[in-house]
Amino acid sequence: MIHLQEVSKLYRTDRVETTALDNINLDVGKGEFISVMGPSGCGKSTLLNLIGLLDEPTSGKVALDGKAIDRYGDRDLARVRNERLGFIFQQFHLVSDLSVVDNVEIPLLYRKMSNKERRRAALAALDRVGLSSRTRHFPTQLSGGQQQRVAIARAIVGRPGILLADEPTGNLDSQMGDEIMSILEDLNANEKTTIVMVTHDPRMAEKTHRVVRLFDGRQVQ
Amino acid sequence: MIRHLFKLVWNRKRTSALLILEIFFSFLVVFVVATLGMYCWDNYKRPLGFSIKNVWQLRIETKKSDDQHTPEESATFARLLKEVKSFDAIESAAGAMGAPYEFGQYQSGMTIHHHDVTMEFNEVTPELKDVLGLRLVAGRWFQEGDEKLSWLPVVIDRDLARDAFGGQEAIGQRLDEPAPDGMKPKPGMRVIGVVDDFRRAGELSGPGNYRFDLKRLGNPDDRPGRIILVKVRSGTPASFEETLMARAQGVAPEWSFEVKPLTQLRESAFRLRLTPLIVGGIVAFFLLLMVGLGLIGVLWQNLLQRTREIGLRRATGASRAEVHRQVVMEQILLTTLGVFLGTVLVAQIPILDLIGFVSGRVFAGGLLVAMVSIYLLSILCALYPSAMAARVQPADALRYE
Repeated sequence: MIHLQEVSKLYRTDRVETTALDNINLDVGKGEFISVMGPSGCGKSTLLNLIGLLDEPTSGKVALDGKAIDRYGDRDLARVRNERLGFIFQQFHLVSDLSVVDNVEIPLLYRKMSNKERRRAALAALDRVGLSSRTRHFPTQLSGGQQQRVAIARAIVGRPGILLADEPTGNLDSQMGDEIMSILEDLNANEKTTIVMVTHDPRMAEKTHRVVRLFDGRQVQ
Repeated sequence: MIRHLFKLVWNRKRTSALLILEIFFSFLVVFVVATLGMYCWDNYKRPLGFSIKNVWQLRIETKKSDDQHTPEESATFARLLKEVKSFDAIESAAGAMGAPYEFGQYQSGMTIHHHDVTMEFNEVTPELKDVLGLRLVAGRWFQEGDEKLSWLPVVIDRDLARDAFGGQEAIGQRLDEPAPDGMKPKPGMRVIGVVDDFRRAGELSGPGNYRFDLKRLGNPDDRPGRIILVKVRSGTPASFEETLMARAQGVAPEWSFEVKPLTQLRESAFRLRLTPLIVGGIVAFFLLLMVGLGLIGVLWQNLLQRTREIGLRRATGASRAEVHRQVVMEQILLTTLGVFLGTVLVAQIPILDLIGFVSGRVFAGGLLVAMVSIYLLSILCALYPSAMAARVQPADALRYE
């Protein structure tokens, strides 16, 4: 489902060249739940950004569903992100000026759907994460755990095959972290959603099918 | 998407309100200048009703007000007019109280068929028709013997005929003007002719009601004229002004005189009317420039603050073009709100009939120009910031602090 072949990513400035990822080879199958671990700055988020088509590799090949994406134009990349991928971020990235349900609707704005269909899908996604009673609230009126659940609802509202979670429990206490983790496990088990999760927390990583470890941009496991 | 953008604009009331207010005031300024400009242009295209080619004005200063004249002064004026006409260089000459393009005017008001009508008027001798090339559209102009009538013959312009009598025949209609305090009442007036629309104040002035009263030179009750308008033959040198002044001074040594071609008065009138428009236009231009730069700055700042939101939108499926379009659409939405408020305000002008002299067509034209200018400005100002926002890589935008 996800195929990375000899992927490297360099960040260049006028004076310094930093290798964020060096020759990564990774295959993630359909319905797999893997975690990516490693110390800060080892390239975990960069790897997730490359899988999520948010960034381009300096060299190597990224393929989704057997299709290499290096020849995709901006419009095609946007369509793949919209239809195939869902993102969950450590910082939640909710739009503070929009209500919970309006935040969840965001990915569907880029699809041809009626307002009614969009609203119905957003409410169903919020119900899925147990937030049906908070649809009219604004993000600042919610706890961190609730905000992350809104972010999960936003990530799954378009029914993507792949969820990419960048330290989804990183900003939460252990109890809320467990709640979020159980939602992800449930999505993986019952809806066969492929999940790639970056985490620092070995307790969370233990719950996934496989752990990929990075160190200084290199894959060590 | 429009509903979504409307929610964003509504929920960001404070930022949005400032932008809407900025757009609202700019719209008002552009509307005023555009309407004024269109009003002048609309007037400029209308027929003037007279020609000033080779027409000079001999202005008389008697150092007395109009109601303090003596029969001798009236006689002096008649003699002066006769003397002026005797020059070979002069085709024709007419006595009057006022001249085209002058700043002062004689205003009168009366009730005609139960409706109040105001008009500008002038007392003129019959030669005025030839001097100014007036065009009769109905009835007749003044002729010899009219000064002996027991009533006062008047010629009105088409605007006044329409305003006072509507679809009725104007010729033969009576006009009763109340005499101003302390002045002898005029004899009853009767319309004998209608001339084309006459816009004494010049090309940039709007249409208005105008009446010509016959100045009866032989009548000692009639005040002397203040102006003699002369039509000189083509090729008459400017030095003839001196000759004319000297002759006039010889006839009436106690009066003083000034000679000016009407083209000179026309230039002054243009300057007077165009100066506020030009100043307003310059102010509006710089205001729009400032507003434009301000809009770019505010938009830029807003988009910087929303970098992570833009990153999120890109991550969830927005293409560069869609981000670009969203920013421009948000700006159009804000502009629409500002323009809507402005339109509601300026729509009160025709509804409450606050500026009657501006026609519906000119008003609508001003509104359209203001709308197009503001939308254009807004869209232009949104293009660069939105292009920059769309260019950011989603991963970089999401990391932005």
